[in-house]
Amino acid sequence: MDFNDSAEEAAFRAEVRAWLQQNASDYTEPLALRQGDPRIAEMGRSWQKQKAKGGFAAISWPVEAGGRGASPIEEVIFAEEEGRYHVPVGPFVGIGINLAVPTIRAHGTPEQIEKFARPTLLGEILWCQLFSEPGAGSDLAAVRTRATRDGDDWLVNGQKVWTSWAHTADWGIMLARTDPEQAKHKGLSFFLVDMRSAGIDVRPIRSISGESEFNEVFLTDVRIPDSQRLGAVGDGWKVAMTTLMNERASAADQSQSLPDVESLLAALGEQGRAANTRQLASLYAREQGLKYFGLRQLTRLSQGGNPDPISVMSKLVYANLLQDVSALGLDALGLPGAFAGRENHEAKKFQYGYQWSAALRIAGGADEILRNQIAERVLGLPGEIRSDKGVPFSQLPVGR
Amino acid sequence: MSQNDTRAYLASARAWLAEQAPAYSGAARRGLSVEEDLALGRRWLHLKSEHGYAAITMPKIYGGGGGTEIEKVIFTNEENNYDLPTGYFGISLGMPVPMLLKYASEEVLRELVPPAIRGEQIWCQLFSEPAAGSDLAALTMRATPDGDGWRLNGQKLWTSWAQYSDWGVVVVRTDPTVPKHAGLTYFYVDMKSPGVEVRVIPKLAGESEINEVFFNDVFVPDAQRMGGVGGGFKVAMETLMIERYAVSDEAVGGISVEKFVDLAMRTRINGQPALADGEVRRLIADTVAERQGLRSIHRRAMAAIAAGTEPGPEGAIRKLLGARRRQQVSAVAMDLLGVDGVIMTEGAQPTEDFTESWIESPPLRIAGGSDEILRNTIAEKVLGLPQDHRPDKGIPFNKLS
Amino acid sequence: MNFDFSADQKELADHARRFLGESCTFDRLRDNMAGEEAYDRSLWQQMVELGWTAINIPEAQGGLGMGSLELCLLSEEVGRVLAPVPFFSTVCLGAHILNQLGQESLREQYLPPIAAGESVVAVALMPGLGQLEYADGCASGALGPVAWLGAADLLISRARDNHGTECLVLIDAKHATVARRNIDGVVLDGLVRHGQAEFSATPARLLASGDEARRLIELALAQAAILTAFEQLGGAQACCEMARDYSLERYTFGRVIGGYQAIKHKLADVQVEIELARSNAYYGAWALATDAAELARAAALARISATEAFTLAAEENLQVHGGIGYTWEANCHFYYQRARLLAINYGNADYWSQQLLAGLQAAH
Repeated sequence: MDFNDSAEEAAFRAEVRAWLQQNASDYTEPLALRQGDPRIAEMGRSWQKQKAKGGFAAISWPVEAGGRGASPIEEVIFAEEEGRYHVPVGPFVGIGINLAVPTIRAHGTPEQIEKFARPTLLGEILWCQLFSEPGAGSDLAAVRTRATRDGDDWLVNGQKVWTSWAHTADWGIMLARTDPEQAKHKGLSFFLVDMRSAGIDVRPIRSISGESEFNEVFLTDVRIPDSQRLGAVGDGWKVAMTTLMNERASAADQSQSLPDVESLLAALGEQGRAANTRQLASLYAREQGLKYFGLRQLTRLSQGGNPDPISVMSKLVYANLLQDVSALGLDALGLPGAFAGRENHEAKKFQYGYQWSAALRIAGGADEILRNQIAERVLGLPGEIRSDKGVPFSQLPVGR
Repeated sequence: MSQNDTRAYLASARAWLAEQAPAYSGAARRGLSVEEDLALGRRWLHLKSEHGYAAITMPKIYGGGGGTEIEKVIFTNEENNYDLPTGYFGISLGMPVPMLLKYASEEVLRELVPPAIRGEQIWCQLFSEPAAGSDLAALTMRATPDGDGWRLNGQKLWTSWAQYSDWGVVVVRTDPTVPKHAGLTYFYVDMKSPGVEVRVIPKLAGESEINEVFFNDVFVPDAQRMGGVGGGFKVAMETLMIERYAVSDEAVGGISVEKFVDLAMRTRINGQPALADGEVRRLIADTVAERQGLRSIHRRAMAAIAAGTEPGPEGAIRKLLGARRRQQVSAVAMDLLGVDGVIMTEGAQPTEDFTESWIESPPLRIAGGSDEILRNTIAEKVLGLPQDHRPDKGIPFNKLS
Repeated sequence: MNFDFSADQKELADHARRFLGESCTFDRLRDNMAGEEAYDRSLWQQMVELGWTAINIPEAQGGLGMGSLELCLLSEEVGRVLAPVPFFSTVCLGAHILNQLGQESLREQYLPPIAAGESVVAVALMPGLGQLEYADGCASGALGPVAWLGAADLLISRARDNHGTECLVLIDAKHATVARRNIDGVVLDGLVRHGQAEFSATPARLLASGDEARRLIELALAQAAILTAFEQLGGAQACCEMARDYSLERYTFGRVIGGYQAIKHKLADVQVEIELARSNAYYGAWALATDAAELARAAALARISATEAFTLAAEENLQVHGGIGYTWEANCHFYYQRARLLAINYGNADYWSQQLLAGLQAAH
């Protein structure tokens, strides 16, 4: 058991530090930009390009794909070091690097890989993920967006929702229904969509924080060439699983603008700490436990193990912890905290944490879905009774 | 019943209890064996029956009080302020005996009800089995016809006070070829019949009131059948519903929040008085606030009973919250007591000893509707959500896996 | 970075699990509770033969010279089966404290018998369990409840000298001037026999006093916290597995109860708490093994998480079992009561929370 870097890890860390010192120091505290501001994504594009020059653009990709072939630990080292600077990293770039291209590499044709991998690496293509729909959230396979064959093309009609950064994306990965007469998991196909195609209408969703990082995307007779289909017709679910596995692995990214227990301790003051000793200690133990849990998982991956099915708990624990910490912080700050403007960074953190935690408990696997997964995959308890099994999609009952 | 009548009844009940109850409660019970405590309980019930306070809602001709439901609730509430030995008769007078009133002949009633009301005889309720708890209709104990009666074979479980019971009501399966709810029949049975064997089940702590009861070719005359052949599930449900509103004390049999406050006054956390600790204060405040909320639910139920209507399903909330709360408060009390908490007072009641109160809290979360079943009840009956999926619906019992 | 136990260490744990699984059954726990012996002597003897009492004692004193990581893993296995033996007080604390002493003569005298399984140690470190006064080579006063005090050969205890200075003393627990008894009758957890004793001018060896005594006590409490956390972890995991297995066997309304979300989500929550507790316990193990500067913080973290996990696991295990879980016949009660005992022993949640926050505040 050893927390220190190995010789190779230390060398890598030194190299990363030196490079960041040279390249990242110019970035300052992000401007007073609201979450979702397109300027953030544009800054992300140029930082990505700069990372590519330094050889750090896609450190987890294999070398032959233009990546660095880094180990999971090196990935964490890079993220730790990068996190010390105010550089613009986030899903606007991450979706392409962590989700879209790995999925294309797993299921795509050589032409598709050629077309998308390198431009994504260089920050020239930003991606979004067109999966969720109004009637398909936790039950993703219930997507209704239809793709019908039209000569060499597909015509797509439907609506997607919760699409992060769709408003700045160049391309999207999309799950659509190609055969409604099949059972629901079987009638799906996977497409790569040019977000500038005719018939695509991106509308921002104003979230409870007042910001707009998510969008609704309406697709009306959008024409997609068959060459932009990823995987076989009807194999969409299988392809999407690759994306989702990658999503889970990179979930629980923690932003600097969110509160942690230490910031809560500071906000509470001596009296507040004394009045909540047991609860604060418990929250802190959860936060630290989560951190060491991450290190245990990382050790497992670095020793060549597969991701442990229990690892989905990271997001479950984190989202709930964030909500508890933020709520207590707001309690401590009282009304002045609740109505503090954005220049009050401390108060803003708790406000934003409280708002964002509500989304985080739902996005990327709701609490209830994750508990089911843990019960089923870790403890071996039975799956849910699903009355839609084997029933043609077109015959399933539809609610709101 | 008018407001004035209610007040007058309350005043006289309170005065009577203040005069009589001390000789049967508190110090009078300390150090008694279970047998001695039961004997004291029988005397208390007998005394109540002479003053119309036993079986308050049952007819006077059988020794009951001939009173109303609201009088019963008022009296029980007051009675709960004393630590009286009434537990042995709670089920007996709460469920089997009222069912007799609905189903038995006049002759039977005159013979069997008065001794039960006077505490001379005790009735138990033989429902649960090893594989039939929350899901009562899954029971497998068989009854087969034999002449002018039935032969009973099988096992019952969790039968409270069976070891002291003279009579019992029992649900058994008379037809395994029909769906599970349809093949059950209900009887009353003499617990002294040949072939009845009662075994006490030891609990984690304290004297056990729970038993396994084995039936080995026990003969029951058909005259002791209550309801139709195959109608047993309905009668069983009526039994469970008959006590329209179970009056429990506010600490659900555990230690009161006032005693917890006393403890917090004389113990310390990290050198400071425990009562000055923010979290201890919050626990006390939460407990009192919850108690106040439960009192409101209780009052609404009382009002419904007084108006002659049924109290709503929200009564389930009381047990759900109360049991969990008792476990939590007792556990914090044990933290305050430190390692001294490992030693319990010999023969102490859960109302006096925190460790005892903690150890005996789990069955409250299980018996008479587990937390999970109660949450279902609230979700379904109060909120109108659908029932859990039940794959056994409509399938003959002997075809179930 | 490598945040895991080594292959050798895991093999030791596997072996311990198999051994205890076969030799420390629930029937054996029941026999122990009903019997006269304070602890299970034949199980203890087997553990001695496996070298468990020698594990953290240097080779020079007849031990195996292994570190605290091995001790962590063994504690987890002991906690999993609730082994009714004085392993924690003798090996995890007694041998540990003696091993820290500067005087070689003391180590030479007391460690070899522990390694050989000839000496059982009781340890009294928490304040509030009575008081010993030490003067001129003798101790007087009263202690209790202290685990295994009635059966121990040696007692290591906190005491005060006639100047009021904190010190640490060692006493022959069998000495004629020690009036001791097992606390029997109705107790919370009958598997860990606690004792009480009065001491009247009992000969005592002064192990340390003043700053040195405080340092040793602080270190021993950190050791106690982390190893107790592993014991709690073992118990919690056992509860989760018991509840899972039962929920797959028990049918209600035509389905196994493990198929209902009320049960699935409950058990998922238990497993999550266990994983958090395990992660903090591993951090504690690392801090203990490397004598890290963060030891005090790591100890508090490990202890707080493990108490939460075991409490939840034991309560919900019983709940999932339903009525049968509350009977003496089922095994849930062993864990239910042990979880509470370990929650209050060697500092309850209030104590460790206070320690943790005070440490965090000092760091700022």
